Amino acid sequence: MSSETLNLTLRVWRQNDPDTPGRFEHYQLNGVSTHMSFLEMLDVLNEQLIESGEEPVAFDHDCREGICGTCSLMINGKAHGPDKATTTCQLHMRRFNDGDTVTIEPWRATAFPVVRDLVVDRSAFDRIISVGGYVSVNTGNAPDGNAIPIAGSQQEVAMDAAACIGCGACVAACKNASAMLFVAAKVSQLAILPQGQLERSERVVSMVTQMDDEGFGSCTNTSECEAACPAEISVSNIARLNREYLRASLCGRD
Amino acid sequence: MDALCRICCIPAELLAKVPGLGPIIRMCCTSVGQKVLMALTGLALCGFLVTHLSGNLLLFAGEEQFNAYAEKLHSMGPLLKMAEVGLLTIFLAHLGLAISTTAMSRRARLKQYAEKESKQEAFAIPNGGASSWMLLTGLGIGAFVLLHLVDLRFELRPDLDYSSATQDGTDKAYATVHLVLSSPVSFVAYGVALILLGIHLSHGIRSALQSLGVSHPRWDKLIEIGSMLFAWAIALGFLCVLGWVALTG
Amino acid sequence: MVRVASETLNSRVPEGPVDQIWDKHRFNMKLVNPANKRKFSVIVVGTGLAGGSAAASLAELGYEVKSFCFQDSPRRAHSIAAQGGINAAKNYPNDGDSIWRLFYDTVKGGDYRAREANVYRLAQVSNNIIDQCVAQGVPFAREYGGTLSNRSFGGAQVSRTFYSRGQTGQQLLLGAYQAMMRQVQLGKVQLYARREMLELIVVDGVARGIIVRNLLTGQLETHTADAVVMCTGGYGNVYYLSTNAKGCNVTAAWRCHKRGAYFANPCYTQIHPTCIPVSGDYQSKLTLMSESLRNDGRVWVPKNKGDSRAPAEIPEEDRDYYLERRYPSFGNLVPRDVASRAAKERCDAGFGVGDTNLAVYLDFRDAINRVGEDAIRKKYGNLFHMYHKITAEDPYKVPMKIFPAVHYTMGGLWVDYHLMSNLPGLFVLGEANFSDHGANRLGASALMQGLSDGYFVLPYTIGDHLATSQLPTVPEDHPACVEALASAKSRIDQLLSVQGTRTVDSFHRDLGQIMWDNCGMARNKAGLESAVGQIQELRDQFWQNVRVLGSGESFNQSLEKAGRVADFLEFGELLATDALHREESCGGHFREEHQTDEGEAKRNDEDFNYVAAWEYHGVGEDSTLHKEPLTFDNVPPATRSYK
Repeated sequence: MSSETLNLTLRVWRQNDPDTPGRFEHYQLNGVSTHMSFLEMLDVLNEQLIESGEEPVAFDHDCREGICGTCSLMINGKAHGPDKATTTCQLHMRRFNDGDTVTIEPWRATAFPVVRDLVVDRSAFDRIISVGGYVSVNTGNAPDGNAIPIAGSQQEVAMDAAACIGCGACVAACKNASAMLFVAAKVSQLAILPQGQLERSERVVSMVTQMDDEGFGSCTNTSECEAACPAEISVSNIARLNREYLRASLCGRD
Repeated sequence: MDALCRICCIPAELLAKVPGLGPIIRMCCTSVGQKVLMALTGLALCGFLVTHLSGNLLLFAGEEQFNAYAEKLHSMGPLLKMAEVGLLTIFLAHLGLAISTTAMSRRARLKQYAEKESKQEAFAIPNGGASSWMLLTGLGIGAFVLLHLVDLRFELRPDLDYSSATQDGTDKAYATVHLVLSSPVSFVAYGVALILLGIHLSHGIRSALQSLGVSHPRWDKLIEIGSMLFAWAIALGFLCVLGWVALTG
Repeated sequence: MVRVASETLNSRVPEGPVDQIWDKHRFNMKLVNPANKRKFSVIVVGTGLAGGSAAASLAELGYEVKSFCFQDSPRRAHSIAAQGGINAAKNYPNDGDSIWRLFYDTVKGGDYRAREANVYRLAQVSNNIIDQCVAQGVPFAREYGGTLSNRSFGGAQVSRTFYSRGQTGQQLLLGAYQAMMRQVQLGKVQLYARREMLELIVVDGVARGIIVRNLLTGQLETHTADAVVMCTGGYGNVYYLSTNAKGCNVTAAWRCHKRGAYFANPCYTQIHPTCIPVSGDYQSKLTLMSESLRNDGRVWVPKNKGDSRAPAEIPEEDRDYYLERRYPSFGNLVPRDVASRAAKERCDAGFGVGDTNLAVYLDFRDAINRVGEDAIRKKYGNLFHMYHKITAEDPYKVPMKIFPAVHYTMGGLWVDYHLMSNLPGLFVLGEANFSDHGANRLGASALMQGLSDGYFVLPYTIGDHLATSQLPTVPEDHPACVEALASAKSRIDQLLSVQGTRTVDSFHRDLGQIMWDNCGMARNKAGLESAVGQIQELRDQFWQNVRVLGSGESFNQSLEKAGRVADFLEFGELLATDALHREESCGGHFREEHQTDEGEAKRNDEDFNYVAAWEYHGVGEDSTLHKEPLTFDNVPPATRSYK
């Protein structure tokens, strides 16, 4: 356990807008409580900056309990910081030591352009979902919930995939900036469940095509995404996506 | 690069018009499809390596057996030519796909991180990060293949006297192999290349299987270990041959 | 003195037996011909369960929908954080549930301050919601045999809660989000992310559009439509510390209020009993531990004051399982307001645990001994993980420390049976309206209400409005639009021009402290009166001394926050005023002056059996109180007892 308060040097990426080049700024932050969350530490930094007349560091965050997927940040070169299965907002300062220099960068991917400072635009993910990440069922068309039995174990596997929070850490951590884990999670969830069967082929083909169009890289099969994923989505979903895609390309409708 | 891609796409677009082929051709143009093709060509090349290695292992059986095997192979005539052309095509396709997917991935992150570290536990990183070196190890192997062809397929190495391995006007494979590998240049180059091959395969095979969707929670660990063993078995097999020839040379 | 309007509000609840009203009314409402639907446009603000489901359903029907959210993606709306589950009267476990029982429990749970007809409708459509979500591929928990699984929640003696691990809100929201994204692809929904609504456009008394700020560029945009649907969530962040997401705010609802929409029952706030306690003054938010944990966790404090032993060393006879002691029939599963007050009572009496003595134990020891750690992990794994992350304590080994925190707000913009506010054309759904939960919401009912409103109520009622109203086209240069745009712009300029010395957050923290101290779990006249004064003073200071850097023409998170806090500073006063006027204790509103000898809430049905809807007259001006009398023909009001 580290000491109760920390003095840190923060090396933070600052960039005014998408079109101007950014740079690192160094800030000294003293007396950081080890009980603070990482984002609370940034709140303190921002209060300090505002008081000294400097514009605060922009960063995305919302629920601060690890589920909304809004927070991002590369912390010392690791997506969401050093801990496994953790989002930046769940990271606590007790993981750092007095005197540390902490480097904070935005997600970097062509498909995630920087908006300002540490904020990036992840709307590419929405566009990928919009081309097929759903079951096409209009409101009011549903049979009774128990009409289709789904084995508990099968449901669990679907739920494992469905747990994706859409934060983009997989893209950020991948050396190819590939979005395969994100896409695979949704494809898998719906390929496993009976509800998703009818659109199985079209879905995977459309989503992969959109993923490429957004400018994400190709899968490295190195599982770095899995290690960075706060929702612990497994790369076995990527294998499933590959299977689904092959199947759709070979046997799907022309 | 983009212009080149567009030119390459023209035959693909034409092929896609053939009834039934559309989805498959379109697949080949996507990142996932290209990884599938990488996997297929890579595994085909592995198949070739297995045959090649089993042939080479005949060196241990002695001069007669090995020469007989070589003659048998050469007597296949046009079949052998076809196999060679096929192999070359697969090899070039594998290389082309590697360049294409790498280009795609480079474009996907134009601005690099100032600091980047892995979140995988050190021992869990498949083969200590071989994946980061796929293109380089691949290119290294490619260069070696060129040398290997010059050495033994075309017998054009200027510093070697191939006539010394010729008997009665015909090549004696066993002697030629010894001749080539007795050159220190070859020995070092071949040794390095085989280690590169081991590294390349240690990620490549597992990766190919993943690209083809071969995965199951029960079997994943076994597949991973099996792939690694296979990769190094191939590399070590060739290294043994190299070592033995050098020792007996 | 409170100004009271002479006329009562018309809730437009049709006549008839409560179990037939909705069916008959659906027939009586006017329809829009399928071919004409595309001629109508609807603005939906917010993309949570209510907004997402409404946008998707309206687009499926054929309306042209514009959907707005301030987050970077509609999937981030705070519904995503709902953990425990969603209620429905399916009676799958065969344990005696029915629509009528869900209706009864919800009215009772709301301490007889909800509108019966709305609640009955909610219970009726609850079953359709489950069906709809299953059809969308929402992975609800299943039994081995493949049927849907249920668990229990507070305030009910049946198991009617459907769930997806501890991430039910996430899965339901993704279902609605995906349905909406499908309509985006089909061109029926125009999606506007990172837009914050700053003004409502009212033309001839009818809501016809909104002004939004594009948060990326700072540009103000005018959007007009035939109806405006507000699905903008609750106002819990007026307390600064709450379980709400940091971005949750009252701005959109408040701007509607300032344009004439009545704000109903703002004093009904829900303090959730099981949250992770505050650890320091830098704290930015509080984290909820799902109510579902009370299925297996037992709440206790030491019997002896100042017992500093580690919890594991405190023997059974020195533990006070105070919920089980006080409420033997519901035990740990009493409704949230009751559980919260009981925790506060123990801590106030000096039995609290932890560094601050403001916490009680939630202990899983017995459950782990009974069913094993694995079974507990399977049910609550992600919650335990979350707790461990935040506190660095392992709840499998050490009991959780919990304390109540602001979680949900039952109050909201006033709506009639059609979910339309007093401003025609302005519909309000989900947590943003006031209608279904009365003075206290039961667990797993928020998800139900959001989806009910969006999937199964609004699609019918909005048609009636569109079919029966004259809706001439409103061009962007209409004087009402121009005026609204100018008003939004001037407020931004004002915020930037103060150039004071204090940060926005520091004001927000101070406001939160005032609210928590005086309008929190227990309220009294003196405290509330002082709160009103303190809020006014803080608001004056804000406008003299706030420091907002940067410009209005770029991405500026300080400016966004400043606008929201400025609205909270006006809204907080209304909340306190409402709490002050309501001289009774009911549900989440506990007035110390009105309690039984045992310390339970004491309602005053004689004088306060009504919805208090406030009309705005200006900052610092007294609002006018409009009353909507409540009638309980089916669930006769009684003192709530969970003993």
